[in-house]
Amino acid sequence: MSETAHYVASRLATTVLIVLGAMLLLFALSALVPGDPATALLGPAATPEYAKRFIAEMGLDQPWYQRLFTFLGNILLGNLGTDVLSGRPVTRVIADVLPYTFILTFTAIGLAVAIGVPLGCYAATHRGSVLDHVFAFVSVAFIAIPAFVIAIFLLLIFAIWLNWLPVLGAGEESSWLDQAKRLILPTIALSVGWIGFIARLVRSSMLETMGENFIRLSRAYGLPSRLVTYKYALKNACIPTLAVLGMGVGRLLGGAVLIEIVFARPGLGRLMFDAISTRNFPVLQGAVLVVVLIFVLTNLLVDISYAAIDPRIRRQGSR
Amino acid sequence: MAAHPDAMVAIRNLRLDARTEQGPAHILRGIDLDFARGRIIGVVGESGSGKSTLVSCLLQLLPNNLDRIEGEILFEGTDLLKLPPAEMNDWRGRKIAMIFQDPMTALNPLFTVGTHLRDILRRRFPQLSRQEIRERSLAMLNKVGISDAPTRLDAYPHQLSGGMRQRIVIAMALLVEPDLLLADEPTTALDATVEAQIVELLDRLRQDFSGSIVFISHHLGLVAELCDDLCVMYGGAIVETGPVAEVLARPRHPYTRALLDCEIEDGQEGRLATIPGEVPSATWTMDACIFASRCVHAAEVCRQGPPALLPAGEGRKAACKRSFEVLP
Amino acid sequence: MTGFIAIRRTFGRIVSTLGGAVGTVIIVVVVGAAILAPLIVTHDPDALDILNRFSGPSAAHWLGTDHLGRDLYSRLVFGAQVAMLVALIAISSALVLGTLLGILAATLSTRWERVILIVFDIISSFPSLVLALAVVAVFGPSTALVTAIVAVTLVPHFGRVARAQMLTLRNAPFMEAERLLGTSATRIVLSHVLPNIAGPLVVLASIDIPVVITIEAGLSFIGLGVRPPLASWGTLIYDGYAYLSDSNIPVIVASAALAVATLGFTLFGEALRDAVDPRLDRGGH
Repeated sequence: MSETAHYVASRLATTVLIVLGAMLLLFALSALVPGDPATALLGPAATPEYAKRFIAEMGLDQPWYQRLFTFLGNILLGNLGTDVLSGRPVTRVIADVLPYTFILTFTAIGLAVAIGVPLGCYAATHRGSVLDHVFAFVSVAFIAIPAFVIAIFLLLIFAIWLNWLPVLGAGEESSWLDQAKRLILPTIALSVGWIGFIARLVRSSMLETMGENFIRLSRAYGLPSRLVTYKYALKNACIPTLAVLGMGVGRLLGGAVLIEIVFARPGLGRLMFDAISTRNFPVLQGAVLVVVLIFVLTNLLVDISYAAIDPRIRRQGSR
Repeated sequence: MAAHPDAMVAIRNLRLDARTEQGPAHILRGIDLDFARGRIIGVVGESGSGKSTLVSCLLQLLPNNLDRIEGEILFEGTDLLKLPPAEMNDWRGRKIAMIFQDPMTALNPLFTVGTHLRDILRRRFPQLSRQEIRERSLAMLNKVGISDAPTRLDAYPHQLSGGMRQRIVIAMALLVEPDLLLADEPTTALDATVEAQIVELLDRLRQDFSGSIVFISHHLGLVAELCDDLCVMYGGAIVETGPVAEVLARPRHPYTRALLDCEIEDGQEGRLATIPGEVPSATWTMDACIFASRCVHAAEVCRQGPPALLPAGEGRKAACKRSFEVLP
Repeated sequence: MTGFIAIRRTFGRIVSTLGGAVGTVIIVVVVGAAILAPLIVTHDPDALDILNRFSGPSAAHWLGTDHLGRDLYSRLVFGAQVAMLVALIAISSALVLGTLLGILAATLSTRWERVILIVFDIISSFPSLVLALAVVAVFGPSTALVTAIVAVTLVPHFGRVARAQMLTLRNAPFMEAERLLGTSATRIVLSHVLPNIAGPLVVLASIDIPVVITIEAGLSFIGLGVRPPLASWGTLIYDGYAYLSDSNIPVIVASAALAVATLGFTLFGEALRDAVDPRLDRGGH
């Protein structure tokens, strides 16, 4: 098992390095804010006294390396700064909306996997059939059309024309049933592209696996074709699928930002959007960092589950 | 017709055509062959001779570009070609088992040796308990010469050497206690010392094997060492069959002779001996002796229609019109 | 000359598939509209006609007008121009920069290779849209900025592929021969490396086009990309969405244009990939 430990350790080290790099990039961005930072952050309406106090509070009068040091130190301590508008800690502000984004992205991934994997398996085992061709075309369309466009169409059709579902907001104050109803359209909008993506990936990896000798061997021993397809071949086909899932979480989070805005749902995306329009830089910085963290950690998780599925990976250390 | 009256498997006039870019290809051109219980038959030929396709036919795991298959494969009187797919699948891994050519790719890299053995055992003997499955697996691993069997059961294929993997594949084949064991060049992918070990293992295992073994090889030496009968294939047709010792001592077909010469030269001089010329294309319609284009003894008569596979001595057959003339 | 024939053969293979043919038609329409925009519009895309706001499709306004009475068809056509320009500039700069970095990573010392790869990893760890948000927050929204950000986020794509291609190429016998002959590194890159790695990079570029269009439209949709009054598909959707209760025609028209364009470019990109590398069976067949 030390092989596994070594693999995890090396993936962890890369992850830490990436997060550190991302923080540096964010810091560099904040240092690049053109003009007087206080004016830029507070807007021209701020009084000179307030601006002065603000500068001292934020440590903006210190040299850049000292600020970098404080910045990194604070993040390590879990302190992402203070919301310029409300004066609340940024961590709290983010913690308030994070669950909404989490629920949205993970139900979307769940839905995509639940639909995409069986579709891909069907297409692979019925290669060349009419449905295979239909799925192939639908998949491309699903992948190609931007999630927020799908969101708008869903909203138009189901909320405005048919008036079946409530859409705007997450229903923070209402019953779980209402909250679930409000989750339906955003989830579909976000997962549609993924359904196509996963279905295609599973199909092509399954086809590749089905041609392997070990599958021939399973067939030569008369193993039931369900066992061959869903135990032997699917596990092999999972590996590339997982890799893409990991890489794609970033796109999914990006998509979630737009979806949250279309459906006026609270969440990280909405938070970032509002932070930009109010020039609330600490909140934006914190939110971006959290998104990057989620993305990087998901990838770490994917890499580790990779190793759990594929015993060969454990030996290789890094990718 | 039958070479052995007690034949367990009798293949009759088996023909297989495939679609290729060059047009319809005749992969098997009318095969007549018998396998008897308790005997090992070696099937020898160059690549493209159809020997691997013959194995695929016995398992009914046919290539995707299959165009047409006809003839009979009588397994204890049942024609496998006429079995519905579900029933045929029932024969696989029960009456027929197979050892694959490349042990490096024959095992699924994501599953342990134990899982491989367990799944096929559970399919073959559904009544076995978990404990019995484990015991049988361990016993079989010991039998195929794998030391430290309990540890190996939990090992993944990539943790084992090629020879070790082939022993696992052989163990799988024996676990299902088949009547017909197909071994498709089981040693080709292994290096020479491991090859010798595997051949020795097969030779030892045949003692308590009551069925029939088909051993595919392109190596006459191996076949001579291991097999009872020999079947020489060329371009999708059988050119000669008979007991190994007699065939090799006195070939009745120029192609067998040429193969034998290659093997001898190979061993002595250490250089690669080859038969001049090329195997005729599979799209060729057989209107002459298939070996005529490369045969040193080819005469006019050889180009006038294909020769039949005719008796050529005790238990032997050869497909050569000039057999007794040129091979005294 | 052989290059030209190869391109023609590849193109032939693309249009011989249904997806490739549909994609090609869509691309021709979109690119044609972008190039000929000033000639084919019926109105000045920015001309206001407040009295005629939200008018439905008519002979005068083929697709109707928006909340300021501007001609939707003309704005749509100019939107195509913006989308194509952003895609063209972003992808070609990412292609050049990425290829350069990729080749450097494969040829420089291991340490530099690692540095470059880590930088790629860091860039890729920002979802492109989120990185764009962070940068736009600092510098304010503008078309140029959107283009630059998209280009940066695409650099790792091209860099990784270029590096991988270069690594396999580095050990090729003809490379060894050239080195022994004392051919300069620049010459080797120009005469051997670029032609050899061009295929996969072009495929990647074409597959990235719809991605860029989507990011530009997404950013413009939330008002952080192309700024009004400049017409972009994203700003058209943004405007339409704000006045959804008055009329849903602008939203539908602009979203449909965006969806059809991304679909067309995706279909074409995939047909191109299959034509260049038939081994990857993904589409249909």
